[in-house]
Amino acid sequence: MTTADFAVARRSPSKAWWGMAMFVASESALFAMMIGSYFLLRFKNLHWPPHGIPEPKVVVPLVLLGVIVATSAPMHLAVAAGRAGQLGRARAFLLLALVVQSGYFAMQVHEYADDLSRFQPSEHAYASIYYTLLGADHAHVALGLLFDVWLLTKLIGGFTAYRLKALSAIAFYWYAVNVITLAVTLTILSPAL
Amino acid sequence: MWAERPGLLGWLTTTDHKRIGLLYFWTTLAFFGAGGVEALLLRAQLARANNDVLGPDTYDQLFSMHGLTMIFWFIIPMTTGAFGNYLIPLMIGARDMAFPKLNALSFWLFLGSGLLVYTGLFLGSGPNAGWFDYVPLASRLYDPGRNIEFYALGLLFNGISSTITAANFIVTILRLRAPGMSFNRIPLFCFAFLAASFGLLFALPSLSVDLIFLFLDRNLGMHFFDPSHGGSTLLWQHLFWFFGHPEVYILIVPAFGIATEIIPAFTQRKMIAFPLVAIAELLVVFIGFGVWAHHMFADGIPAVTLVFFAGATAMVVIPSTIQVFAWSSTLFTGRPRFNTPLLFIIGFILFFVIGGLTGVMFVAIPFTQQVTDTYFVVAHFHYIIFGAAVFPIFAGMYYWFPKVTGRMYFERPGQISFWIIFLGTNLLFFPMHIVGLLGMPRRVYTYPGEMGWTAYNLAESVGGAITLVGILLLFGNLVVSYRRGPLAPPDPWHGPTLEWSIPSPPPEYNFAVIPHVSSAYPNWDLADREADRRRLAEGVGMLDHGHEQVVSTLADGEPVEIVRMPHSSPWPILLALAVSGAFAVLVTEKYGVAAVFGVLALFALVGWHWQEEES
Repeated sequence: MTTADFAVARRSPSKAWWGMAMFVASESALFAMMIGSYFLLRFKNLHWPPHGIPEPKVVVPLVLLGVIVATSAPMHLAVAAGRAGQLGRARAFLLLALVVQSGYFAMQVHEYADDLSRFQPSEHAYASIYYTLLGADHAHVALGLLFDVWLLTKLIGGFTAYRLKALSAIAFYWYAVNVITLAVTLTILSPAL
Repeated sequence: MWAERPGLLGWLTTTDHKRIGLLYFWTTLAFFGAGGVEALLLRAQLARANNDVLGPDTYDQLFSMHGLTMIFWFIIPMTTGAFGNYLIPLMIGARDMAFPKLNALSFWLFLGSGLLVYTGLFLGSGPNAGWFDYVPLASRLYDPGRNIEFYALGLLFNGISSTITAANFIVTILRLRAPGMSFNRIPLFCFAFLAASFGLLFALPSLSVDLIFLFLDRNLGMHFFDPSHGGSTLLWQHLFWFFGHPEVYILIVPAFGIATEIIPAFTQRKMIAFPLVAIAELLVVFIGFGVWAHHMFADGIPAVTLVFFAGATAMVVIPSTIQVFAWSSTLFTGRPRFNTPLLFIIGFILFFVIGGLTGVMFVAIPFTQQVTDTYFVVAHFHYIIFGAAVFPIFAGMYYWFPKVTGRMYFERPGQISFWIIFLGTNLLFFPMHIVGLLGMPRRVYTYPGEMGWTAYNLAESVGGAITLVGILLLFGNLVVSYRRGPLAPPDPWHGPTLEWSIPSPPPEYNFAVIPHVSSAYPNWDLADREADRRRLAEGVGMLDHGHEQVVSTLADGEPVEIVRMPHSSPWPILLALAVSGAFAVLVTEKYGVAAVFGVLALFALVGWHWQEEES
């Protein structure tokens, strides 16, 4: 039996897509529970953030949010180039996305360290959830960077069906991380908005 | 077509769903034994008033480990890991799970997590704040040892394994069904596992978040659960029960699935109300996500919240009752053969109805507030968890024994084992209702003689011993049958689903020719199976170029492509070793060493993806 024996050639999402969909579902539930915890703690407290802890910064996180969400575009273009078999374009867009995402990550790590110099996670439940939620989000960005680097290394040897599926799955991961980052950033900024 | 690698190395690197199912089976049985010994020790301590078999500290660790073991290292891995892994690909006409390497990974992670918590117990630092581990009791202030680290990290670790298993089942059932098995022809067993898997996928993150918060509170001085610094003890409970209540249904829904296989086989009749039963299986888990606060009725949360959750809890009755009536009316309108598997299923229905009725009583908020933390609750959930979740597991062990081993079990000792276990468990758990109403609190390591609880407790302990005799007879029967039982034909029960259409035990590739399916009971469609045999004789539709598998569409089950599956791989066990190392050193707060193991895990992942799969 060969594929030609099948009369209907309908498209079915790849195994890589399904695997990533399951991973994203599970991680989204994880963030949903963390964001729920944030608001549960918030409504238990009269002052949020408590006295002695500064309000979250607004402008820089919002600009960074815009930057990371914008990287969805080169990811999408990389997938489109991959479907069209344009290896050079796919690599270029992926590399562009990686550069911007790495810049975002470096800035966020800097901001995180800057926050830590002003208040500690052990000061108050506000600080605990603040650092844990942001840290979890940054960890997911870092994982995405590892995915990008791994895929770019693989793409040095050109396209295979496997790498094309990996490309769409990784793009899917980034769209999800961008949406999660949106939710996390708005949650973290909510006391200052 | 292909053969599994023989020897120890073959088992360590296997990605075959049947072998992984067997690995799960033997491992979970060992944990069942451990959890059972813990239960017997607890019952020995409680048999008399003012007893001193166990001290309070040991008692705390043993009841915590009993609950944790039976839920996380016996029932869930036994139903999903062993039964699901072995049977789901066979029932949907597939040759393996969708992610065979991940399947191996989930087993090795599961084994590692179990060894981790039991290491804690043997070091005298086992979890000791109960399976739901309420703060502040479990906070560093009141529980300064490493006991709760073993709890938090052991469960987090176990959760990764269960999440992977759940994802694997979902993709397998949605993607690898045999041609013609459209959504409405999926066997009810698989619907049940689909429901349980979705439940696990969305409930476990809540537990994971809770455990991470607990670990951070205890080890990095954070304040999630500390009201003196803006935290909330109720946050632990909300997150725990948002996982914990769906978990109860995740335990029991696979048992529903086993019942819906065995009842048709022993009545030779299709399940009544097939679509309703399928929907009810999914609905039980779905509603299960909206009832968590009924575990918190005695917490002092606002009355309006309590009423909402009481109402939601009452709704669970609807899908449950649909299933009870579907099972019993199928039994009444068929011609039942009362073999051992069916006896266990009838026992299951009785236990489920009794445990369900006491469950409905908890909807009455004042009643719950009265009996919270008494033995009445213990009686209720043991009727559900032992009676309604473990009885079908026993039924399934007998029912699929001929398929897995190629030999028949001995029927008469099987039936005797059912009656002993049935009487033993009722004697064990029924008096708990009474002592609970008399006010005996759960989790006390002893009680004074003048409370009037002694006779009931002695009866319960005797019931425990009788149950043990029955379980030993059950496993004795299976062991002797494995060695000396008569050879089993491919289909001894005239079973309804595809696993009975192939030899016993199944060959490595499961199906020599990919079956075509036209109903939910494909093994009873004789013309279809005849057509399969004809195609096999003609050599059509064989897929005999190695480890090949058909992929079909989500709704209609139309074949769309052929994929090649991995055969065996050393990476799952290597990755699991790295992850186990990371969790083990985290218990001792050695974060640097844990990071080294994390990097090793990354290397294992790169190795895992080195060889690209072809399609």
